[in-house]
Amino acid sequence: MSVRRAAYAVAGLALAFVVLAPLTSIDAAQQAGLPLLTDKLWFRIATTVAMFVVMASAWNIIGGLTGYASFGNVAFFGLGAYTAGVVVTNLGLPFALALVLAPLVAAAFAVIVGIPLLRLRGHYFAVATLGVGVAVGEVVNNIEPLGAATGLFLPIVRSDLLFFYLMLGAALLAVLTTWVILRTRFGYGLLAIRENEEAAAVIGVNTTFYKVAAFCIAAALTGIAGAIFAQWNSFINQDNAFAISDNVQMILMAVIGGTGTVLGPVAGAISLELIIQTLAGGGSGSVFSQIGLGVLLAVCVIFIPRGVIDFFGGRSKLSLRYFRQTLRETSA
Amino acid sequence: MSLLAVREVSKRFGGVKALAGVSFEVEQGDVMGVIGPNGAGKTTLLNCISGLYRPDTGDIRWETTSIRGLAPYRIARLGIGRTFQIVRPFPSMTVRENTAMGALFGRPGARLQPGAALSEADTVLDVVGLGEKRYYPVLRLTVPDRKRLEVARALAMRPRLLLLDEVMAGLNQVEIEQALEMVRRVRDSGVTIVLIEHVMKVIVGVCKRALVLNFGRTLVEGPPAEVLKDRRVIEAYLGQRYARDQER
Repeated sequence: MSVRRAAYAVAGLALAFVVLAPLTSIDAAQQAGLPLLTDKLWFRIATTVAMFVVMASAWNIIGGLTGYASFGNVAFFGLGAYTAGVVVTNLGLPFALALVLAPLVAAAFAVIVGIPLLRLRGHYFAVATLGVGVAVGEVVNNIEPLGAATGLFLPIVRSDLLFFYLMLGAALLAVLTTWVILRTRFGYGLLAIRENEEAAAVIGVNTTFYKVAAFCIAAALTGIAGAIFAQWNSFINQDNAFAISDNVQMILMAVIGGTGTVLGPVAGAISLELIIQTLAGGGSGSVFSQIGLGVLLAVCVIFIPRGVIDFFGGRSKLSLRYFRQTLRETSA
Repeated sequence: MSLLAVREVSKRFGGVKALAGVSFEVEQGDVMGVIGPNGAGKTTLLNCISGLYRPDTGDIRWETTSIRGLAPYRIARLGIGRTFQIVRPFPSMTVRENTAMGALFGRPGARLQPGAALSEADTVLDVVGLGEKRYYPVLRLTVPDRKRLEVARALAMRPRLLLLDEVMAGLNQVEIEQALEMVRRVRDSGVTIVLIEHVMKVIVGVCKRALVLNFGRTLVEGPPAEVLKDRRVIEAYLGQRYARDQER
């Protein structure tokens, strides 16, 4: 119990630091003589972590709560990014409008592909969505007004602070959305679908509507992250907007953190992204780091399949018994 | 006007005709038993009524309207609850939460909120005799208790018609008595029941009428005591030779 308290305290302090530290970089704070707690690299990493918190949390809504493991969520990210690109660069309209339109475009796309694809289950759904994710990127890569293979440039906005807070806001929105969903009738419906879809249907859950709605919410949140990324990075193309590595990462983060929970994807996104960032600078050793990351993932999935949140969540102790029990309960 | 009318319903899976024109009616307050050998089409019939399957031909009427081909959730909200022969609980939830799901989604009119649904679940769990185990995770329940939970979840919807698919299968004598008592309580509360059962004691003990299916067709329909003595029924279950020997 005290471990849990301590974990909350540490998490609270860390959150306070993350929210307040960037303020030391504004001019007024510097003139007042406050120590600079953040630099360019700090902002880059923190913004990236927040971005993955959005994506992992959004994935959790369809993959974790509803039980439909989508492998194509990167399409929503890319569509959000390109919506921002079109609004800002092609149409010359303000970025704020892109922030509104991006989730709508992504959600509309989720309805169109969701209605046919959400009839599939398990591996079939996974493979079909993977196909969609790759296909959308390829299509965008061949449309001339979208810059085709060259990509799309957005006017550069130099403000680390702005993009950090935007992404942090999106992350909080994603976490809050999950929290609210889990407390409503809608959330219970999603859980029922995950646990047994036919049983859910015969007790009166409109399964098609619920699944498509969950997919839409996930898409909208991911689309917002995409739009912010586009303006932040000021350059988008198939490789960075529809990155397969992002697609895989958001799923791993949600799974390692703990699917179906509010804070699991957050914990997963923070820990995994920090590990990746640490290993990235390794030079020739980075190959071994990559292998190490792979091994870590395998170990996590086998021994703590309910995620680190469950593992450190107070319900369990660091013991062999915990490993044995989860192994027994989660292996078919 | 009958509560439920099944008219000439047939359903085919590839070359197998699971249902080949079954007709029957259920009156308000009836307890109707559906029996028949394995593969006779009993569960297929229930799946057609609850909307999991769409009948190939024929019609299913609920009071005055046709419910053929309606989505399962719509049929559920009309007031038709069902259980599954192979139990399908929501495994990560407690007994109480499982039951509350029925109240949360199955009510035709009122949209209950989670809190109200949970207290409704408490009432229903007492009816089926799971009151003391309401905080158990379902994975800790025994088979008879899981069957009770299926019934509880369906009852929480406050259905007007309850379809029970072999809720007594695999139970011992004492458990069957308890389950029979439960079915009677449900009947007395005004719920119309259609139940599939292999345990003849149940059919005789609680049903007003029995419908015998064989190869997807109605073989005999009538009061249980008469139906079970019918030569055609004995033939279907035990073979022609056994039926002949019995008559001698």
